[in-house]
Amino acid sequence: MKYFLLIIIAVICTFIGYLFSKKYKTRDNFYQALLYLCQKFDIEINYSRDRLKNIFLNLDEKNKKDLKGIDKNFISFLDKENALDKTSLFNSINFLKDDEKDLIFTFFKSLGRSDVDSQSKEIKNFQTRFESISAQVKSENKKYGSLSIKLGIVAGLLIVVLFI
Amino acid sequence: MLEKILSDEIYHILQNKINLKCITEIRFRANKPIILIIGSQRTYLSNNGTTANIKEAIYASKIMIEDIIFRASECSIYSVNEQIKKGFIVTPGGIRLGLGGDLVEENGIVKTMTNFNSVNIRIPHEIKNCSLAAFDYIFENNKVYNTLVLSPPGAGKTTFLRDFICQLSERNYAYNILILDERGEIDIGKEGCVGNYSDKISFAKKSIGFENGIRALSPNIIVTDELGQAEDIDAVNYAINCGVTVLASVHCDNIESFLKKPNFELLIKNKLFQRYVLLSLRNGPGTLEGIYNENFTRVKN
Repeated sequence: MKYFLLIIIAVICTFIGYLFSKKYKTRDNFYQALLYLCQKFDIEINYSRDRLKNIFLNLDEKNKKDLKGIDKNFISFLDKENALDKTSLFNSINFLKDDEKDLIFTFFKSLGRSDVDSQSKEIKNFQTRFESISAQVKSENKKYGSLSIKLGIVAGLLIVVLFI
Repeated sequence: MLEKILSDEIYHILQNKINLKCITEIRFRANKPIILIIGSQRTYLSNNGTTANIKEAIYASKIMIEDIIFRASECSIYSVNEQIKKGFIVTPGGIRLGLGGDLVEENGIVKTMTNFNSVNIRIPHEIKNCSLAAFDYIFENNKVYNTLVLSPPGAGKTTFLRDFICQLSERNYAYNILILDERGEIDIGKEGCVGNYSDKISFAKKSIGFENGIRALSPNIIVTDELGQAEDIDAVNYAINCGVTVLASVHCDNIESFLKKPNFELLIKNKLFQRYVLLSLRNGPGTLEGIYNENFTRVKN
C-alpha cells in the first residue's frame, strides 16, 4: 500500500510539472496562431477584402484550436450575440497576463473599424508587438517548459526516496 | 437586415410599436432626435413608437451612428470603403445608408470618410404592381420602349424599375435583362424581385458597366438607376446605338426642370427615349403624374 501511494505521489508531481510546461506551450502556440491571424488579415484585407467573419471562419483547424476559443467569442460579438468586452473575449482563457489581455483586446477592438490602408497599418503595428511577445514566450517555453516536467519528475522521485 | 444594423433597443421599438413595412427612411443625426419618414410624413422616434413632441424623442448619439455604420459594413469598414468614399453603404438586403462625416482627401483624391455624424437609412420596399398603370404604355407590340423614369428623391423610381422587370418576367417575356446596379439598390436580394431573366453588374460605373455588360452578357434590355453625368448619357447613347433598350431613372421634379437639366440636351434632341414616366410624392411615393412620349406630349394623364 505504501509503495502504491508513493507511485501515485510521483505521478501527481510529474503531472503538475507537465501542467506547468503545458501552460508555456499553450502560450507559445497561442501567439503563433495570433501572428498567423495578423498575416491572414493583412492579406485578406488588402486583396480579397473579405468580411471579418469569413476570415475567422476560414481559419484552419489548428489555428482555431490554438486560439483557444477567442475566435468564437469574437464571432459571437460580430453576430451581435454578446458585447465586446474582456470578460466575453477571454472567456475560459487563463494563461494570459493582464497586460497581454489589454493588448489583444485593443487589437480585436480595432478590427474592421477603418479603411484598408489604416487597418493594414494597424495590423502591422500589432503584429510587431505580438512578434516581440511571441519571441519572449518561445524562449520561456524552451527554458521553463521542459524544466517544469523535469522538476516534477525529480520532485516525485525525491518524495519517493525520502519515504522509502 | 435592419435587426443586424440597429441597436436592439431601437429595433425593438420599430418592430413592436411601429409597422416596419411603412417606414421608408430613418435619419440619425448626432445629438439630434431620430426622425422616421413614414410615407411622406416625418415624425420623431420615441420609446412608445412615434411622437410629434420633440421632448419625447429619442436622440441619436455619435457612438450610435458609428455602430450602425460598422454593423452595416458587416463589421468590416475596409470592405466597403469604395462605397463610403461615395457617401453611402448598401447592405446585402438593399438597404442604403447615406453617410455624413468628414471626407479625408489626399492630393485631391477622396481616401475615406471619418468622424461620421449622420446616417440616413433608406429601406427598400417591393411594391407589387406599382408599374402596372404604366406598363402598357412602355411595352407595346412585344417591344419595350427606351424609358426614363423621372421623379424627386424618394418618390419610387427604383421601386418602379424593379417592379417593371418583375412584370416582364411574370408575363414570361424572356428578354435578357441586365441590371446595372451602381448603388446596389435595384436588386434587394428578395427572391423573384427582379424576375428570372436578369443578370446583374453591381457597383460599377455606368460607362464601364454598359460597355462590359453589352459585350459579355448580350442583353436585350439594360436597367439602370439615376443618370446624371455626361458619361452616363454617353453610355446610354452607346447602348441604344447597339440596339439595346434602356430603362433608366433620373432625379427631377417635373418635365420643365428635366428639359433644363445639364448633360441631357443631346439625349432629348436625338429622342433617345420614347417614354418618360413622371412620378411624384403628391399622394405618397410612386404617384404617377403622367407618361410622355419623345416629343413630351402626354400619352397618359
